[in-house]
Amino acid sequence: MVERALNVFWILLGAGAAVHAWQIGLVGSAGPESGLFPMIAGLIIAGTGLTLLLRTSTAARVPGWPRGAALGRVAGVVAGLAVMAIGVSYLGFAVASAITMLVLLRTIERTNWVGSLALAFGSVAVVMWLFGQVLGMPLPRGPWGW
Amino acid sequence: MDPLTGLQVGFSVILTPANLYYCFLGSLIGTLVGVLPGLGPLGALALLLPVTFTLTPVAGMAMLASIFYGAMYGGSTTSVLVNIPGEAASVVTCLDGHQMAKQGRAGAALGIAAMGSFVAGTLSLVALTFFAPAISAVAIRFGPPENFGLMVLGIVCTLFMITGSALKGVLMIALGFLAAAVGIDVVNGRERFTFGSLELSAGVDLLALVIGLFGVTEILLNVESMARNSVIAERVRGLWPTLADWRASWKPILRGSGLGFLLGIVPGGGPVTASFMSYAMERRIAREPQRFGKGAIEGVAGPESANNSAVAGSMIPLLSLGIPSNPVTALLLGALVIQGIQPGPLFISQRPDLFWGVVAAMYVGNVFLLLLNMPLIGLWVQLLRVPYRVLFPIVLLLAVVGTYSANKNVFDLWVMLGFGVAGYALRKLEYDLAPFVLAFVLAPLLEQSLRQSLVMSPDGAIIFAKRPVTALLLVASAVLIAFMFRRQSRAQGGTK
Repeated sequence: MVERALNVFWILLGAGAAVHAWQIGLVGSAGPESGLFPMIAGLIIAGTGLTLLLRTSTAARVPGWPRGAALGRVAGVVAGLAVMAIGVSYLGFAVASAITMLVLLRTIERTNWVGSLALAFGSVAVVMWLFGQVLGMPLPRGPWGW
Repeated sequence: MDPLTGLQVGFSVILTPANLYYCFLGSLIGTLVGVLPGLGPLGALALLLPVTFTLTPVAGMAMLASIFYGAMYGGSTTSVLVNIPGEAASVVTCLDGHQMAKQGRAGAALGIAAMGSFVAGTLSLVALTFFAPAISAVAIRFGPPENFGLMVLGIVCTLFMITGSALKGVLMIALGFLAAAVGIDVVNGRERFTFGSLELSAGVDLLALVIGLFGVTEILLNVESMARNSVIAERVRGLWPTLADWRASWKPILRGSGLGFLLGIVPGGGPVTASFMSYAMERRIAREPQRFGKGAIEGVAGPESANNSAVAGSMIPLLSLGIPSNPVTALLLGALVIQGIQPGPLFISQRPDLFWGVVAAMYVGNVFLLLLNMPLIGLWVQLLRVPYRVLFPIVLLLAVVGTYSANKNVFDLWVMLGFGVAGYALRKLEYDLAPFVLAFVLAPLLEQSLRQSLVMSPDGAIIFAKRPVTALLLVASAVLIAFMFRRQSRAQGGTK
C-alpha cells in the first residue's frame, strides 16, 4: 500500500517537474535552455514510477516498519532533531542540544537521571570544545551569549 | 612530470608536521569508524567534511582519504570479534574471521587482515601512482561530448552496485538529477524549482543532503534495532601470522589486491563489491571449498586485501577524470569543489602539489594504519564495549554541527532532517541511496557537458554519434543497461 502510494507520488513528482521545466524553456536561440535537463529527469521519474506501479515484482518484500518501542525511538530522534532545528535559533546550540539530548536519553534510552545528565552535558561540552574552540567553527549562540 | 618526480613532490608536501598530523588524525578516525558499528565511512566523511573547510586542500584531502581507507582497516576488527561488520566492505570477513576467533585464532585473523590490507594498499598505491597520470594524459584531449559520454557511462555503471531493483536505481539517479537542478542556473541566472524561496535559490546543500541520507538515516535504523553486541572477551594474542598462515594467505592477498584495484576503478565497483568478489573467487578456486565459513584464513586475507586495494583504485577515476566511482569518492569530489578545485583531466597538471600530496598521504596513511591496527588492537577491542546509547547522541550532535557549520543556515538542518527521514523510508522500501548521491554530484558536470555539446553542434544531438569516443561510450552504456535489465528479469524469472 505504502509502495503503491509512493509510486503514484513519483509519477506526480516527475510530471510536475516536467511541466515546470517546460515552462522554464527547453531550447532557445542560444541552444539548450535551463529546462532541458530537469525535463529529462522529470520524464524518467514519471516513467519509472509508472513502470514500478505496473510491475509488482519490483515491490519490496515486506517492509519492516517499526512498531511499539522501536517506533517510539525512531519518532523520538526525528522529533528531537526537529526541536533542535527550531530551538537552535532561539536558545543557541549549547542549550538546545543539551535539552534535546537529555530528553532523548531519558525517553528513548531510559538512561537514569545521573547518566543522562552526564552524557548530555558531557557530549555537548566535548562537541562545543572541539568545533567551537579547537576548529574555530562559529556555533549558534543563545540570548546568554553561549 | 613523471610519476617518480611527482611522488617526490608529494612527499615534500605531505611530510610537514601539520599535514602528517591530519593524515594521522584521519587514519585514527577512520579506524574508529570502521571498528564501531553504526556509522560507516560515508556518514563519517559527511560529518567531518566541514572540519576540512578550515584546513588547506592538501591537509583536508589527506584527512578525508585517510578516513576512507582507515575504515576499511578497522572494519575487520568488529567482523572478527563481534560478528557484526563495522562497515559494509567487512561483511564477508565475518564469515571466516569470526569462526577463527571462536577457535581462539582472533589474533591471526586480525593480523592477516591488517597485514593483507597493508600489502594490498601499498601495491594498489604503486599502481595508482603510474595509472592515474597516464589516464589523465589521455582524457585531457576530451571535449564536452566525450566528457558527457564518460559521465553517462559512469552513472550507468553505478546501477551495477545496486542490490535490489534496477528500476528503482534508475529512479534514484533521476531524482538526484532533479535535486541538483534546484536553485539558480549558473549559465543564465534563471531560477529552477525554487518557488520563490530564498533558501532554495542557493540549491540543495550537498552536506545537508549527505549527512541526512547517510548520517541521520543510519542513526534512525540503529535506534530502531538498538542491538546489544557481545564481544569475544578474551585477550587477543598472537597477531603476527605464522608461517603456515602466510603460506595460505599470500596468494589470496595478491589476488585480492589485483581484483580490488580493478573493481575500484570501475564505476559502481568499490570496496564492498571487491570484498564479496574476492571471497567468491577464493572459495571457487580453493582445493577444499568446504573449509570456507568454518575459519579459513584465505576467506579473511582475500576480501580484506581487496577492499583496501579498491580504495586506491577508486581514486583513479576521481583524480584523473573527475568522476566518482562510489558515494565516498562522490563526497571527496564534493570536498574538492567546496575548496574551489575542479577535479577533471586537468587536475593533475594544474594542481600537481595536491594530487601527488594526496597520493603520498595515502602511502603514509597506510603505514600509520598498520601501526594503529597491530599494536593498538586491545584499545579497539575495549572501544567495542561502548554501548550505542553513548555513541548516538554524539553522532547526532555531530550531524547538527556539521550541517549547520557549512552555511550557518538553520534551513539546512531541515533539509538534513527531511533527507534523513526520506532515506530511512526509502531504505525500508529497498531503494539504494548511493546512486542518488552520485547523480546529485555528477549532475552539474553532466548538464554542463550536455549543454556545451549541443551548443557546439549545428546538428543537435547528432554530435554524440559523430564523435567516435562518445559514440562508443554511449553504446557501451546502452549495452550495460540492456544487460542489467536482462539479468534482473532472468533472476526474477528464476525466483518465480
